[in-house]
Amino acid sequence: MNRAVIALLGIASIAVPLFAHHGRGATYDDKKIITANAVITEVAWRNPHVAIYMDIKDENGKVTNWGMESQNVSSLTRLGFFRNTLKPGQEITIKFNPSRAGAPVGVIRKIYDSTGKEVLSFGGSIDQ
Amino acid sequence: MQNRLLSVVVVLLVVLAASPAFAQAKFDPHDFSGYWLRNSIRPKDHPPLTEAGKKAITGRHADDDVKLPTDSNDPMYKCNPQGFPRLVWEENEPIEFVMLNDRVLQLFQWERTLRELWLDGRELPSGENLENLGPAWYGHSVGHWEGDTLVVVTTGVDERAWLDEYGNPKSFDAKFEERYRMIDADNIEGRLVINDPKNFTAPWVQPPSTFTRMKPDEVEYFGWKGLFSGLTDAICAPINETNFDNRIKIPGALGIQK
Repeated sequence: MNRAVIALLGIASIAVPLFAHHGRGATYDDKKIITANAVITEVAWRNPHVAIYMDIKDENGKVTNWGMESQNVSSLTRLGFFRNTLKPGQEITIKFNPSRAGAPVGVIRKIYDSTGKEVLSFGGSIDQ
Repeated sequence: MQNRLLSVVVVLLVVLAASPAFAQAKFDPHDFSGYWLRNSIRPKDHPPLTEAGKKAITGRHADDDVKLPTDSNDPMYKCNPQGFPRLVWEENEPIEFVMLNDRVLQLFQWERTLRELWLDGRELPSGENLENLGPAWYGHSVGHWEGDTLVVVTTGVDERAWLDEYGNPKSFDAKFEERYRMIDADNIEGRLVINDPKNFTAPWVQPPSTFTRMKPDEVEYFGWKGLFSGLTDAICAPINETNFDNRIKIPGALGIQK
Protein backbone atom coordinates (compact mmCIF):
# COMPACT_ATOMS: atom_id res chain seq x y z
CA MET A 1 0.00 0.00 0.00
CA ASN A 2 2.65 2.49 1.10
CA ARG A 3 4.85 1.39 -1.76
CA ALA A 4 2.01 2.05 -4.19
CA VAL A 5 1.50 5.51 -2.75
CA ILE A 6 5.20 6.29 -3.00
CA ALA A 7 5.27 5.05 -6.59
CA LEU A 8 2.35 7.30 -7.46
CA LEU A 9 4.00 10.27 -5.78
CA GLY A 10 7.11 9.56 -7.80
CA ILE A 11 5.16 9.69 -11.03
CA ALA A 12 3.42 12.87 -9.95
CA SER A 13 6.69 14.63 -9.19
CA ILE A 14 8.10 13.70 -12.58
CA ALA A 15 4.92 14.82 -14.32
CA VAL A 16 5.26 18.39 -13.01
CA PRO A 17 6.39 20.39 -16.02
CA LEU A 18 9.51 22.47 -15.84
CA PHE A 19 7.59 25.30 -17.41
CA ALA A 20 3.87 25.54 -17.05
CA HIS A 21 2.86 27.79 -19.95
CA HIS A 22 5.73 30.21 -19.85
CA GLY A 23 6.55 30.61 -23.50
CA ARG A 24 9.13 27.97 -24.29
CA GLY A 25 7.59 26.13 -27.20
CA ALA A 26 10.12 23.53 -28.27
CA THR A 27 13.22 25.57 -27.45
CA TYR A 28 14.81 22.92 -25.27
CA ASP A 29 15.53 19.28 -25.90
CA ASP A 30 13.97 17.73 -22.83
CA LYS A 31 15.23 14.27 -23.82
CA LYS A 32 18.87 15.36 -23.78
CA ILE A 33 20.72 16.16 -20.57
CA ILE A 34 24.22 17.58 -20.58
CA THR A 35 26.42 17.43 -17.48
CA ALA A 36 29.15 20.06 -17.22
CA ASN A 37 31.48 21.72 -14.77
CA ALA A 38 30.97 25.47 -14.73
CA VAL A 39 31.94 28.69 -13.00
CA ILE A 40 29.10 31.05 -12.08
CA THR A 41 29.41 34.51 -13.64
CA GLU A 42 26.03 36.08 -12.79
CA VAL A 43 22.78 35.25 -11.03
CA ALA A 44 19.96 37.36 -12.54
CA TRP A 45 17.51 37.10 -9.66
CA ARG A 46 14.47 38.51 -11.43
CA ASN A 47 10.94 37.63 -12.35
CA PRO A 48 9.41 36.16 -14.34
CA HIS A 49 12.49 34.01 -15.03
CA VAL A 50 15.61 33.60 -12.96
CA ALA A 51 18.66 33.17 -15.21
CA ILE A 52 22.07 31.95 -14.10
CA TYR A 53 25.03 32.66 -16.34
CA MET A 54 28.15 30.52 -16.19
CA ASP A 55 31.38 29.80 -18.03
CA ILE A 56 31.78 26.28 -19.41
CA LYS A 57 35.00 25.02 -20.97
CA ASP A 58 34.60 22.62 -23.90
CA GLU A 59 36.90 19.68 -24.72
CA ASN A 60 39.16 21.99 -26.72
CA GLY A 61 39.59 24.33 -23.81
CA LYS A 62 37.38 27.05 -25.29
CA VAL A 63 35.35 28.88 -22.65
CA THR A 64 31.79 29.95 -23.52
CA ASN A 65 29.40 31.86 -21.33
CA TRP A 66 26.12 29.96 -21.14
CA GLY A 67 22.76 31.35 -20.05
CA MET A 68 20.74 28.86 -18.01
CA GLU A 69 17.15 29.60 -17.24
CA SER A 70 15.02 28.49 -14.37
CA GLN A 71 11.69 29.18 -12.77
CA ASN A 72 10.48 32.37 -11.13
CA VAL A 73 11.77 33.81 -7.88
CA SER A 74 8.91 32.63 -5.69
CA SER A 75 9.04 29.06 -7.04
CA LEU A 76 12.79 28.87 -6.42
CA THR A 77 12.40 30.35 -2.96
CA ARG A 78 9.81 27.72 -2.09
CA LEU A 79 12.46 25.14 -3.03
CA GLY A 80 14.92 26.78 -0.62
CA PHE A 81 17.05 28.34 -3.36
CA PHE A 82 17.79 32.02 -2.74
CA ARG A 83 19.52 34.93 -4.42
CA ASN A 84 22.85 34.20 -2.77
CA THR A 85 22.76 30.41 -2.87
CA LEU A 86 25.21 30.60 -5.77
CA LYS A 87 27.74 33.39 -6.14
CA PRO A 88 29.86 34.59 -9.07
CA GLY A 89 33.18 32.74 -9.14
CA GLN A 90 31.71 29.63 -7.56
CA GLU A 91 32.47 26.28 -9.18
CA ILE A 92 29.51 23.99 -9.75
CA THR A 93 28.36 20.99 -11.71
CA ILE A 94 25.20 21.39 -13.74
CA LYS A 95 22.83 19.05 -15.54
CA PHE A 96 20.72 20.85 -18.11
CA ASN A 97 18.54 20.45 -21.19
CA PRO A 98 20.23 22.30 -24.05
CA SER A 99 18.69 24.49 -26.73
CA ARG A 100 17.66 22.38 -29.73
CA ALA A 101 19.02 25.07 -32.00
CA GLY A 102 22.51 24.74 -30.56
CA ALA A 103 22.82 28.08 -28.79
CA PRO A 104 24.77 28.24 -25.50
CA VAL A 105 21.51 28.31 -23.62
CA GLY A 106 19.83 25.70 -21.46
CA VAL A 107 17.24 24.98 -18.83
CA ILE A 108 18.48 23.89 -15.41
CA ARG A 109 17.62 20.41 -14.20
CA LYS A 110 20.11 20.01 -11.34
CA ILE A 111 22.98 21.96 -9.84
CA TYR A 112 25.59 20.59 -7.43
CA ASP A 113 28.16 22.58 -5.49
CA SER A 114 31.89 21.73 -5.50
CA THR A 115 31.39 19.21 -2.70
CA GLY A 116 28.80 17.35 -4.76
CA LYS A 117 25.87 18.58 -2.68
CA GLU A 118 22.70 19.13 -4.67
CA VAL A 119 21.62 22.76 -4.41
CA LEU A 120 18.82 22.82 -6.98
CA SER A 121 16.69 20.10 -8.55
CA PHE A 122 13.73 19.92 -10.91
CA GLY A 123 11.79 17.22 -12.64
CA GLY A 124 12.40 14.09 -10.59
CA SER A 125 15.15 11.60 -11.32
CA ILE A 126 17.34 12.37 -14.33
CA ASP A 127 20.33 10.16 -13.65
CA GLN A 128 21.85 9.37 -17.00
CA MET B 1 -22.53 -10.95 27.57
CA GLN B 2 -24.21 -8.63 25.09
CA ASN B 3 -23.69 -5.68 27.41
CA ARG B 4 -20.02 -6.48 27.76
CA LEU B 5 -19.61 -6.67 23.98
CA LEU B 6 -21.44 -3.37 23.64
CA SER B 7 -19.12 -1.79 26.23
CA VAL B 8 -16.06 -3.00 24.36
CA VAL B 9 -17.40 -1.58 21.09
CA VAL B 10 -18.19 1.77 22.73
CA VAL B 11 -14.74 1.97 24.32
CA LEU B 12 -13.12 1.11 21.00
CA LEU B 13 -15.13 3.80 19.22
CA VAL B 14 -14.16 6.39 21.85
CA VAL B 15 -10.47 5.47 21.53
CA LEU B 16 -10.65 5.61 17.74
CA ALA B 17 -12.44 8.95 17.76
CA ALA B 18 -9.73 10.40 20.00
CA SER B 19 -6.87 9.04 17.92
CA PRO B 20 -4.98 11.40 15.58
CA ALA B 21 -6.04 9.43 12.50
CA PHE B 22 -9.66 10.28 13.16
CA ALA B 23 -9.09 13.79 14.41
CA GLN B 24 -10.67 16.24 12.00
CA ALA B 25 -9.19 19.68 12.38
CA LYS B 26 -12.01 22.03 13.23
CA PHE B 27 -12.54 24.80 10.74
CA ASP B 28 -15.02 27.54 9.96
CA PRO B 29 -16.28 26.80 6.43
CA HIS B 30 -16.86 30.51 5.87
CA ASP B 31 -13.30 31.49 6.72
CA PHE B 32 -10.90 31.06 3.78
CA SER B 33 -8.20 33.19 5.46
CA GLY B 34 -4.75 32.00 4.56
CA TYR B 35 -2.44 31.12 1.72
CA TRP B 36 -3.49 28.70 -0.99
CA LEU B 37 -2.01 27.04 -4.02
CA ARG B 38 -4.10 25.60 -6.84
CA ASN B 39 -2.48 22.32 -7.61
CA SER B 40 -3.83 21.02 -10.89
CA ILE B 41 -2.66 21.51 -14.45
CA ARG B 42 -5.43 22.69 -16.75
CA PRO B 43 -5.83 20.38 -19.74
CA LYS B 44 -5.74 21.68 -23.28
CA ASP B 45 -9.25 22.14 -24.52
CA HIS B 46 -11.15 24.15 -27.09
CA PRO B 47 -14.92 24.22 -26.55
CA PRO B 48 -17.33 24.56 -29.49
CA LEU B 49 -17.05 28.14 -30.68
CA THR B 50 -19.64 30.39 -32.27
CA GLU B 51 -18.75 32.23 -35.47
CA ALA B 52 -17.81 35.24 -33.33
CA GLY B 53 -15.65 33.01 -31.15
CA LYS B 54 -13.85 31.63 -34.19
CA LYS B 55 -13.25 35.15 -35.44
CA ALA B 56 -11.95 36.23 -32.03
CA ILE B 57 -9.19 33.63 -31.96
CA THR B 58 -8.11 34.12 -35.57
CA GLY B 59 -4.48 35.15 -35.60
CA ARG B 60 -3.76 33.92 -32.08
CA HIS B 61 -0.65 31.78 -31.92
CA ALA B 62 -0.53 29.92 -28.62
CA ASP B 63 2.81 28.81 -27.22
CA ASP B 64 1.60 25.25 -27.48
CA ASP B 65 1.03 25.57 -31.24
CA VAL B 66 4.25 27.21 -32.36
CA LYS B 67 7.68 25.76 -32.96
CA LEU B 68 9.57 28.75 -31.65
CA PRO B 69 8.43 30.61 -28.54
CA THR B 70 9.22 33.82 -30.38
CA ASP B 71 6.35 32.98 -32.74
CA SER B 72 3.71 33.05 -30.00
CA ASN B 73 1.74 36.28 -29.67
CA ASP B 74 0.25 35.46 -26.28
CA PRO B 75 0.04 38.92 -24.66
CA MET B 76 1.29 37.61 -21.31
CA TYR B 77 4.73 37.00 -22.81
CA LYS B 78 5.03 40.76 -23.22
CA CYS B 79 4.21 41.11 -19.53
CA ASN B 80 0.60 42.15 -20.09
CA PRO B 81 -1.78 41.18 -17.26
CA GLN B 82 -2.94 37.61 -17.44
CA GLY B 83 -6.36 38.84 -16.40
CA PHE B 84 -9.31 36.90 -15.07
CA PRO B 85 -9.86 33.96 -15.07
CA ARG B 86 -6.35 33.01 -16.15
CA LEU B 87 -4.50 34.23 -13.07
CA VAL B 88 -6.78 32.27 -10.74
CA TRP B 89 -7.69 29.21 -12.77
CA GLU B 90 -4.60 28.57 -14.87
CA GLU B 91 -1.62 29.84 -12.89
CA ASN B 92 -0.30 27.65 -10.10
CA GLU B 93 0.89 30.53 -7.96
CA PRO B 94 0.09 31.46 -4.35
CA ILE B 95 -3.17 33.24 -3.52
CA GLU B 96 -4.10 34.75 -0.17
CA PHE B 97 -7.75 35.04 0.83
CA VAL B 98 -8.56 37.92 3.15
CA MET B 99 -12.05 37.82 4.66
CA LEU B 100 -13.58 41.27 5.28
CA ASN B 101 -17.12 42.17 6.31
CA ASP B 102 -18.12 43.55 2.95
CA ARG B 103 -15.86 41.61 0.58
CA VAL B 104 -13.32 38.90 0.15
CA LEU B 105 -9.92 39.91 -1.17
CA GLN B 106 -7.85 37.57 -3.27
CA LEU B 107 -4.22 38.67 -3.20
CA PHE B 108 -1.99 37.23 -5.88
CA GLN B 109 1.73 36.83 -5.40
CA TRP B 110 2.07 36.62 -9.17
CA GLU B 111 1.58 40.09 -10.69
CA ARG B 112 1.32 41.39 -7.09
CA THR B 113 -2.30 42.20 -7.74
CA LEU B 114 -5.73 41.59 -6.19
CA ARG B 115 -9.41 40.92 -6.82
CA GLU B 116 -12.23 42.34 -4.74
CA LEU B 117 -15.18 39.95 -4.46
CA TRP B 118 -17.97 42.18 -3.14
CA LEU B 119 -20.36 40.64 -0.62
CA ASP B 120 -22.21 43.86 0.33
CA GLY B 121 -25.25 43.14 -1.80
CA ARG B 122 -24.35 45.39 -4.71
CA GLU B 123 -25.60 44.27 -8.08
CA LEU B 124 -23.36 42.95 -10.77
CA PRO B 125 -22.96 45.81 -13.26
CA SER B 126 -24.93 45.35 -16.46
CA GLY B 127 -26.26 47.26 -19.44
CA GLU B 128 -25.40 50.95 -19.50
CA ASN B 129 -23.62 50.76 -16.13
CA LEU B 130 -21.31 48.03 -17.35
CA GLU B 131 -20.70 49.94 -20.60
CA ASN B 132 -19.74 53.01 -18.59
CA LEU B 133 -17.47 51.09 -16.25
CA GLY B 134 -15.77 49.52 -19.22
CA PRO B 135 -13.50 46.51 -19.34
CA ALA B 136 -11.13 45.61 -16.53
CA TRP B 137 -8.31 43.07 -16.66
CA TYR B 138 -9.83 41.31 -13.64
CA GLY B 139 -13.47 42.26 -14.29
CA HIS B 140 -16.06 43.27 -11.70
CA SER B 141 -17.07 40.67 -9.12
CA VAL B 142 -19.91 40.15 -6.65
CA GLY B 143 -20.38 37.20 -4.36
CA HIS B 144 -22.78 35.58 -1.91
CA TRP B 145 -22.91 32.50 0.27
CA GLU B 146 -25.06 29.51 -0.63
CA GLY B 147 -24.70 27.41 2.50
CA ASP B 148 -20.96 26.83 2.83
CA THR B 149 -20.23 27.67 -0.80
CA LEU B 150 -18.97 31.11 -1.77
CA VAL B 151 -20.49 31.90 -5.17
CA VAL B 152 -18.80 34.67 -7.15
CA VAL B 153 -19.95 36.09 -10.46
CA THR B 154 -17.59 38.22 -12.56
CA THR B 155 -18.24 40.21 -15.70
CA GLY B 156 -16.72 43.08 -17.70
CA VAL B 157 -13.38 41.42 -18.41
CA ASP B 158 -10.93 42.87 -20.90
CA GLU B 159 -11.14 40.83 -24.09
CA ARG B 160 -7.51 41.51 -25.00
CA ALA B 161 -6.26 39.13 -22.30
CA TRP B 162 -6.64 35.57 -23.52
CA LEU B 163 -8.97 33.29 -21.62
CA ASP B 164 -6.18 30.75 -21.31
CA GLU B 165 -2.79 29.75 -22.66
CA TYR B 166 -4.46 28.03 -25.61
CA GLY B 167 -5.78 31.31 -26.99
CA ASN B 168 -9.46 30.76 -26.21
CA PRO B 169 -11.56 33.93 -26.34
CA LYS B 170 -13.62 35.72 -23.72
CA SER B 171 -16.10 38.53 -24.14
CA PHE B 172 -16.72 41.68 -22.14
CA ASP B 173 -20.29 40.50 -21.49
CA ALA B 174 -19.34 36.98 -20.39
CA LYS B 175 -20.36 35.90 -16.90
CA PHE B 176 -17.96 33.71 -14.96
CA GLU B 177 -19.40 31.78 -12.02
CA GLU B 178 -16.91 30.57 -9.42
CA ARG B 179 -17.85 28.34 -6.52
CA TYR B 180 -15.49 27.90 -3.58
CA ARG B 181 -16.16 25.41 -0.78
CA MET B 182 -13.87 24.21 2.00
CA ILE B 183 -13.85 20.44 2.00
CA ASP B 184 -11.61 20.33 5.06
CA ALA B 185 -9.34 22.70 6.98
CA ASP B 186 -6.64 22.62 4.29
CA ASN B 187 -8.49 22.27 1.00
CA ILE B 188 -10.92 24.43 -0.95
CA GLU B 189 -12.75 22.85 -3.82
CA GLY B 190 -13.08 25.34 -6.65
CA ARG B 191 -15.37 25.28 -9.66
CA LEU B 192 -15.69 27.60 -12.61
CA VAL B 193 -18.37 27.83 -15.27
CA ILE B 194 -17.94 30.25 -18.17
CA ASN B 195 -21.15 31.63 -19.62
CA ASP B 196 -20.14 33.39 -22.80
CA PRO B 197 -22.85 32.95 -25.45
CA LYS B 198 -21.06 35.37 -27.74
CA ASN B 199 -18.08 33.02 -28.06
CA PHE B 200 -19.23 29.58 -26.93
CA THR B 201 -22.21 27.54 -28.09
CA ALA B 202 -22.89 26.37 -24.50
CA PRO B 203 -21.69 27.19 -20.97
CA TRP B 204 -18.16 25.89 -20.56
CA VAL B 205 -17.76 23.90 -17.33
CA GLN B 206 -14.15 23.72 -16.19
CA PRO B 207 -12.70 20.67 -14.44
CA PRO B 208 -12.82 21.11 -10.63
CA SER B 209 -9.69 22.43 -8.96
CA THR B 210 -8.41 22.12 -5.43
CA PHE B 211 -6.73 25.00 -3.66
CA THR B 212 -4.50 23.52 -0.96
CA ARG B 213 -3.36 25.48 2.08
CA MET B 214 0.33 26.31 1.84
CA LYS B 215 2.73 25.08 4.49
CA PRO B 216 3.99 27.79 6.86
CA ASP B 217 7.57 27.53 5.54
CA GLU B 218 6.32 28.20 2.02
CA VAL B 219 5.13 31.67 2.96
CA GLU B 220 7.78 32.58 5.51
CA TYR B 221 11.10 33.91 4.34
CA PHE B 222 13.90 34.99 6.64
CA GLY B 223 11.44 35.29 9.50
CA TRP B 224 9.00 37.40 7.49
CA LYS B 225 5.61 35.86 6.87
CA GLY B 226 3.36 36.77 3.97
CA LEU B 227 2.99 36.48 0.23
CA PHE B 228 5.17 39.50 -0.44
CA SER B 229 7.67 39.17 2.38
CA GLY B 230 11.33 38.80 1.69
CA LEU B 231 10.72 38.10 -1.99
CA THR B 232 11.58 39.94 -5.13
CA ASP B 233 8.38 41.29 -6.67
CA ALA B 234 6.61 38.62 -8.67
CA ILE B 235 5.91 41.23 -11.31
CA CYS B 236 6.59 40.62 -14.98
CA ALA B 237 8.31 43.93 -15.67
CA PRO B 238 8.98 44.48 -19.39
CA ILE B 239 12.46 45.79 -18.57
CA ASN B 240 13.31 42.40 -17.07
CA GLU B 241 11.56 40.36 -19.71
CA THR B 242 13.26 42.17 -22.59
CA ASN B 243 16.65 41.54 -21.03
CA PHE B 244 15.82 37.87 -20.61
CA ASP B 245 14.44 37.58 -24.15
CA ASN B 246 17.56 39.11 -25.67
CA ARG B 247 20.00 37.02 -23.68
CA ILE B 248 18.26 33.65 -23.47
CA LYS B 249 14.86 33.24 -25.08
CA ILE B 250 15.68 34.51 -28.58
CA PRO B 251 19.22 33.03 -28.84
CA GLY B 252 17.88 29.74 -27.48
CA ALA B 253 15.07 29.58 -30.00
CA LEU B 254 17.03 30.77 -33.01
CA GLY B 255 20.38 29.13 -32.26
CA ILE B 256 22.34 32.37 -32.02
CA GLN B 257 25.97 31.68 -31.07
CA LYS B 258 28.19 33.81 -28.87
